[in-house]
Amino acid sequence: MMPVAIFDAVLGAALLWLAWHALASPDLFKAIVLFVSFGLLMALAWVRLDAPDIALAEAAIGAGLTGAILLATLAKLQTMTGKNTFVLSAQPAFKSLFLRGLLIVLLSGSAAGIGYAVWVLPSNSNGLRLDVAANLDASGVSNPVTAVLLNFRGYDTMLEMTVLLMALLGIWSLGGLPPRPRRPAAAVLDIFSRFLAPVFILVAAYLLWVGADAPGGAFQAGSVLGAAGVLMLLSGWRPHDRFTLRYLRFALTAGASAFIILGLLTMLHQGQLLAYPPAQAGTLILLLESLATVSIAATLAALFLAEAPDHTENQ
Amino acid sequence: MQIETMLTAVDWAVVVIMLPLAGGIACFLWPVMSKQLGLITVTGIALSVAGLGWRIMEHGAYRHAVGGWGAPLGIDLFADGLSLCMLIMITTVGLGISFYASSYFESRRAVWFWPIWLFLLAALNALFLSADIFNLYVTLELTGLAAVALTALTGRIDALNGAMRYLLAMLLGSLTYLLGVALLYHDAGSVDIATLAQRIEPNATVWTALGLMSAGLALKTALFPLNFWLPPAHASAPAPVSALLSALVVKASFYILLRLWLEIFGSFADNAALLLGLLGATAILWGSLQALCQTRIKLLVAYSTVAQIGYLFLAYPLASGSNDMIWSVAVYLAFSHALAKSAMFLATGNLIQFGGHDRITDLDRAVQRLPLTVAAFALAGVSIMGLPPSSGFTGKWLLLETAVTQERWDLALVIIAGGVLAAGYVFKVLGYAFTQAEKPHDAKTVSASMEWTAFLLAAGAILLGFMAPEILTLIRLDIAVNIDGKAV
Repeated sequence: MMPVAIFDAVLGAALLWLAWHALASPDLFKAIVLFVSFGLLMALAWVRLDAPDIALAEAAIGAGLTGAILLATLAKLQTMTGKNTFVLSAQPAFKSLFLRGLLIVLLSGSAAGIGYAVWVLPSNSNGLRLDVAANLDASGVSNPVTAVLLNFRGYDTMLEMTVLLMALLGIWSLGGLPPRPRRPAAAVLDIFSRFLAPVFILVAAYLLWVGADAPGGAFQAGSVLGAAGVLMLLSGWRPHDRFTLRYLRFALTAGASAFIILGLLTMLHQGQLLAYPPAQAGTLILLLESLATVSIAATLAALFLAEAPDHTENQ
Repeated sequence: MQIETMLTAVDWAVVVIMLPLAGGIACFLWPVMSKQLGLITVTGIALSVAGLGWRIMEHGAYRHAVGGWGAPLGIDLFADGLSLCMLIMITTVGLGISFYASSYFESRRAVWFWPIWLFLLAALNALFLSADIFNLYVTLELTGLAAVALTALTGRIDALNGAMRYLLAMLLGSLTYLLGVALLYHDAGSVDIATLAQRIEPNATVWTALGLMSAGLALKTALFPLNFWLPPAHASAPAPVSALLSALVVKASFYILLRLWLEIFGSFADNAALLLGLLGATAILWGSLQALCQTRIKLLVAYSTVAQIGYLFLAYPLASGSNDMIWSVAVYLAFSHALAKSAMFLATGNLIQFGGHDRITDLDRAVQRLPLTVAAFALAGVSIMGLPPSSGFTGKWLLLETAVTQERWDLALVIIAGGVLAAGYVFKVLGYAFTQAEKPHDAKTVSASMEWTAFLLAAGAILLGFMAPEILTLIRLDIAVNIDGKAV
């Protein structure tokens, strides 16, 4: 018992320390590295909380892809401005001592209140765990997390797929960046990505398949597949123009469209939105998850690329 | 008879949500046709809302169990008069904004405007039909992201700055709300509003959740003093976007807070209601004074939104006296403000396109050269000031009457002062529309459809004043139905 408690305490302290330094570091590169480390330790914390699904997602998206996107943004800032390092000025946001004091009092007051509320929470609360367990057989899968995400609360996931698409639309609508010279990839990266990309694809397929019974599923598989895309983009690969013009958009919308079409079919057949017939539920969930994986991967890789590939054709 | 069977057979609440989602994806897939697809979708939504309205009037409020599970395991959609009223507001104003936008945006911007606007409509419709506090969070997130993307659409530096500030405020608001959701779920074991209403007892957890959710939603509604993000975002966005942000998006978070209050928190949170009312009253005075000091019309109109939002929150302390009529008045005022403020922003957009700027002192006889636009601004102003026979008058009069009956003289005074200040800033703009500028400016033409849209929305704000009894009963009826409105 004792070593575990010490581990948890160190983990918690390290998280706080990393979070504070990621926020306080004036050097942007250092802040990003600290942020990535924070994500990795956070994944570890989720493992300690018995939430392996969230741990996988946190490691892949929170640490991996977000870190890659932040670093890519920094690199673009560097090429655009010609500066090598970005150091924020040490000016405090609030100059007035009174405002700063007020803010500190308000924030620590709220933190204390929330801390107290969490402290007095009943520790034996089951939430909906029993309901989920009782209906798991009818859901088509045996992993309760997948059952909640794709069946019991599939409607939320449909809207979340739209949120993801919306994020990309928002970025693409800002317009492209000035064209940059494409540099050939360094030999190590080139060889490495040739070796790793197939492995990532295999891992993604496994995560997608295993999601029905064990931790995994569309979000985890999609982010690993998206990471493979990022790796290939890093090594200088670009999708062919004919592909990007139309098929990329179909890949990006596949997940949300699948939900909408299935919604329409279930409305016609069952009279209820996204109510799957129990016998076909497993197959339908796998189908939804496969298309969602494609969309998530395409969206994450496209977020990394930042500008719309067919941007110029639209004008 | 056959039409009636058809109307009953279709679940319009689901159509209202799914149609704009599908339309948004279609616009993204076929950008060349985005304008046509967008207009068709918006018209389709209007018809579906009419269908939903028919159903609710005939058969009362109803639930739709998504996935067939039913709350608390699944997510329920819930449509009652309050939802219907908000949907009618979205549709009326949304139609106007869509027609305006179809002439406003050049094709380079239009290919992005339409899919994002349709996703925003889907998010708002889903929000007004949700009966689940976690699902509400998802719709809030979609609403916020779409609103931020639309704000930044011009790509100008001030728009990007405004949008970035907006994004950070939206995220902070959503996450604060989500923390409250997590606490309520842990406390009561459900995220379904009706189930929560039965299980919630006031304790430390519930009070913390109440504080967090109210703070997050107040930030998103730009309630004073959490309104710092609104003027830069609303003033730097393109005209139709400013209109939809001020008219519709801020109402979304207001609606959630209202819903939570009606069903969960209202029974025990009297002190919190007093605080919300105090902030609302301060917002009216502060926002109006700020609006009066502005030199640009767009910022003036944006600060006027800060002030008008304040009125909506006056309902909280007034409802403490067990008066549920006051909630309908707040919703009615929100509707009235949506019409008037969208008209004002669209009219301002016309003035900007016409003269190339929005400096108030430089309006240069706009009244002679753009009479319809200035008339739209004036009519909308009549409603904002609260002059009869506009809807703004009816709403504010009912608020004032309640304040006087409950002997809340302080609130009554604020309501009157807000009207006087509003008259000040509206006439400031109108006055300069009559005078000649020192240097004459070149002027561009404004398309007739853009002028007419602004005018019709403003006229709507006046006409709504004549429909007050119907609208107020519609909302009230539904609040009464709510209590045992578990009809399927």
